[in-house]
Order: sequence, then structure tokens, then C-alpha cells
Amino acid sequence: MQIAIASGKGGVGKSTITASLLYLLKDDYSFVAVDADAEAPNLGLLLGVTEWDEEREHIGAKVARINTESCVKCGICYERCPYGCIYIDDEEGNYVVNELTCEGCNVCGLVCPVAGTITLEEVRSGVIRKATTKYGFPLISAQLDVGRPESGKLVTEEKEWASKLMKELNLEHMIVDSAAGIGCQVIASLGGADVAILIAEPTPASLSDVQRAYKVVQHFREPAYLIINKADINPGFRGLEEWAEKEGIPILGRIPYDRAVPKSMSMLKPVVEAFPDSKASKAIVEIAEVIKKEILG
Amino acid sequence: MQIAISGGKGGTGKSTVATNLAVALRKIGVKLTLADLDVEAPNDHILLGVELANEKPVNQFMPRFDYSKCTKCRKCAEVCEEHAIVTLRDGTPFLMPTLCSGCRACEIVCPVPGAIQEAFRTIGHTYVTPTPYGFTLVTGKLKEGEERSMPLVVAAKRRAEEVREGLLMVDTAAGTGNTVSKAIESSKLLIAVTEPTPLGIHDTELILELGRLMGIPTWVVVNRADLGEKEKVYELARKYGAEVVAEIPYSENIVRSYVEGKPIVLTDYPEAEIFTGLAKRVAEFLGGGE
Repeated sequence: MQIAIASGKGGVGKSTITASLLYLLKDDYSFVAVDADAEAPNLGLLLGVTEWDEEREHIGAKVARINTESCVKCGICYERCPYGCIYIDDEEGNYVVNELTCEGCNVCGLVCPVAGTITLEEVRSGVIRKATTKYGFPLISAQLDVGRPESGKLVTEEKEWASKLMKELNLEHMIVDSAAGIGCQVIASLGGADVAILIAEPTPASLSDVQRAYKVVQHFREPAYLIINKADINPGFRGLEEWAEKEGIPILGRIPYDRAVPKSMSMLKPVVEAFPDSKASKAIVEIAEVIKKEILG
Repeated sequence: MQIAISGGKGGTGKSTVATNLAVALRKIGVKLTLADLDVEAPNDHILLGVELANEKPVNQFMPRFDYSKCTKCRKCAEVCEEHAIVTLRDGTPFLMPTLCSGCRACEIVCPVPGAIQEAFRTIGHTYVTPTPYGFTLVTGKLKEGEERSMPLVVAAKRRAEEVREGLLMVDTAAGTGNTVSKAIESSKLLIAVTEPTPLGIHDTELILELGRLMGIPTWVVVNRADLGEKEKVYELARKYGAEVVAEIPYSENIVRSYVEGKPIVLTDYPEAEIFTGLAKRVAEFLGGGE
């Protein structure tokens, strides 16, 4: 089974809750964990990973380059770039591609009247790594190089690697911790999942974002569940419950705000391991039991 | 002049800082427009307690094949970097719309006039919303199910440029990919909002690296400064020549103002002073306001 964890909004506790759930599920199930937040990967940190077994460079992003020697400075590339990624440098008045924003579509190369002046070059977009966590299960994690496009493709490649590992090691499940947002990384995370677990906190911003994430889940027709994190920070706010009830999304549980969570982060341990008696840990343990019964069977 | 609020990690408080800083700057006389370029999860309007207004669709080009003219040469499929055009065995092209980035490369290479016609689909919307605080908020919002944020970031930024008054302040998405650099592009100052957890610090390094590559002076704001090891943030900032300009403690007052959609900078809570102080520093940086 493939489970994807998403939230829409960043910083609501996706990775911290995922790390704890992985810790609590490791003895009864076999799985591979995937950190699919390639632009800000944190799951490895929370699982105390310091060494990687294997690292693969991902060459696949493309960026355009302009050869100033043969460029006739006609400016057509500048006009036609759909994303405004070509600029004129101050000193020589040369046309230059901003490699940190280029999408690699090659429109500039196609419209350039001087053959060979604009070339599309393959560059490294990031790395994908595999670790064996100290808890025994493998983790696949990707990191996009800053300013590169196509983080979604990196996630797709992570999941391919994870699928291969499942076969090799005979693992039952894949658990994917997705990025914030609803774009390509999240779509790549949710695509192919059997179940989505959504995480939100009781604030209007988080509600708005998780509703957007849920619409993506609906595109894939996946059953969804909700975990309410920092459940007590906004007493009186019923928006999440009302929405979940209306959509028929079962609530797996509520985790109270607890300073043990940031403390455990500093210790680079899941909170359920670092502070098993904290109120947050107790709530997560209950949620893990519900997941075992309702989802994993 | 343009400045950017970013942070690498999600949920560090980018929007809280952006909205409060905008209100505080306006209060001390700086004219500005705020652009929420977190197009996958835009929240600035919620924090400012306003309903998005003046909706405008972002229509993206996509090819429509006129099969009576198409010669099945496959050039469109070959040139499509997104592999959004697939061809049947005989060369008949088909489009997979969600993969199409709207770049028009297919249209450019098609040798038969009229074989590729212009079609459009709406991938999201931009909004121009007046706020009760004396500035306008421009928001980009990607449609659910659409993969590509870049065209939305570009469209929202363009619309912000059209309506801007004075300073343009952009609030970016989490992450450090090219949509974040597109949002930051042209900024004279980057304010990275972080939290002093190992996760926050890890992701701050990425955004500081992006700032360095883009050659933009960078400041750091440490949010929830009492929940972790803030010395490590200072250390990292030093490494990148960035200055830590403010510390915000974890505060129930901030959480309350956040959920109520009322900027804390307008309250009597002691935390208001932090944003007022930050606004003064930004105003100084801008050279006495713009």
C-alpha cells in the first residue's frame, strides 16, 4: 500500500508527525519512507540520518545558454521567453539567461535566428539519496539544487526508486511525506497513492490550504483521512471539523500543541521516541493505532 | 524598489512577517503593494482579514491540432520538453493538457500554418484586493490539479507591477526551486524568515544560498526564537554575510491575531513593537521611504 501525507500549508507538522508515525509502525509493518519535499527535505534530519548508503545525481533539468560571441543582439529571445527569464546585462548589453529561473522550454533556442547561438544544456537538478535509518527501514530523500525547475520529476524518480526497493526487500508499504503546496511535487506525491492522510491545524489559513490539497486528492479519487495538529491553539474554531464532516473525511485524531515537539526536533528524534510521555506523543500513539486498524489492516 | 520575504521551510512565518511588515511600513508612511506569490497556498488575504477581489483568470496557451492540416511530422512532439504531446504510431499528435507549460515551442516548430491553433485553458487566477490598511494586496492562486506554478507566479508578479504604488513587497512560497527565485528576482533585499529548529536551519541555508547566487543582500528574521538553538541561526547568517535583524518569540498573542485575521502590529501586545522596529529598519534601507 502507498500512503501519501499532505497538508497544503507548510509548517503544520507533516514531517514531525510522519517521523513519529514511522517510528510507531516500524515494528509491525515493513515499509520504505519517502521524503518528497525536494525543495526543503527534513524527514532525514528528524530520523537522525547522518549517512547515506547511496546517492544519485539527477541530471535532467535543462537550461538555455546564449553564446554572446555569435549573438547578434536582435532581442527576439528576450521578447519570446514565456517566463521573462532573459535579461540584458549592464556592462556589455549582452542577452543572458537567468539560470535560476529558466524553465528549459527552449523557446528562445527555437526563435533565435543564428543557428547554434542558443543551446539547451542539461544540468544537474539535484540528488536523490537512500539511507538505512537507525530504526531499520529505508528512507529515500531528494534535494533539488536551489533555483532549479522540475522538483516534481525528482519526486517521481524517488518513488520509482522506492518501488524498486519494495520489490527487492519485499516491503509491504510506501509512506510518502509530501511538500507544502499543491503543485507538481504534491501531485507527484499523491499520484499513485492508495490513501492520503491530510494534516492541518485549526487556523483559517491551514483550512484554506488543506481544502486545496484535498481537491488534488479528489482528482486521484483517493480516500482521505485528516489529522488535526496543534488542536488546542485556537479554541472555538470549528472550521476543520465542519469541513471534514461535510466531505466525509474521517478524523484520525487530534494532537495538542506541545513544546516537547520542537524540543524533540532539536534532539533530532521523533517526539514519540524522545518524550513518549508527552501529551503530543500520547495523541500520536492513539492515531498510529487507528491507522493500523483502519488503514493498514 | 522591490523586496522579498522568503524562508525555505514552510510555516516559518513568512506570511505573518510579510503582512505585519506591510501594515507597519504603511503606518510610517511608506507606500507599497504586497504581492502574495505563494500561488499554491496563498494566505496573506486571510491574515489581513480580506476577501480576494478583482479576479482575473490566468489563461495559458495550449495547442489545438487541426488534423485536416497536420502532416504528422512529429516535430511538435519532439520539441516539447515537457513531453506533453504524444504521437500515435502514424504520427498523429495528442496533447496531455496538465503537462503543457504553454511555452509555444510546438507552435514555433510546426511547419504547416494553421495546423496548430491557439487554445487556452485557465490554470489559476490573480486578484487585486484593497486592504483597510492603505495598501493593495495582489494574489496569485493556482487552480487545484494544475502542476505548474511558474506561469502563475509570472502572471501575479506582472499584475502586481501594473498596479504597484511605491515599494513592491513579495511574499514567496516555501522551498528554493525556480518558482521561488522567480518571485524573488529583481529584489534589492531578501528577508529570510526562519525558526531555530534543525529543520528551519537546514532550509535557511538553502535560501541563503539562493540569495547569494542571486546577489541579493539578505536579512534573517528568527521566528519562534525561543524554541530551539538560535545561536545556530546567527552562526549560519554570519557564514553567508546575512544580518539577523529581528527575533520573534513564540507567542500566543501572535497565534491569536493570526487566526483572527488582525495584524498584531496594530494591537497593544508587546510583539507589535518587533514589527514596527523591523519596518523602521526596512524604511531606512529604502532610504527614508519610497
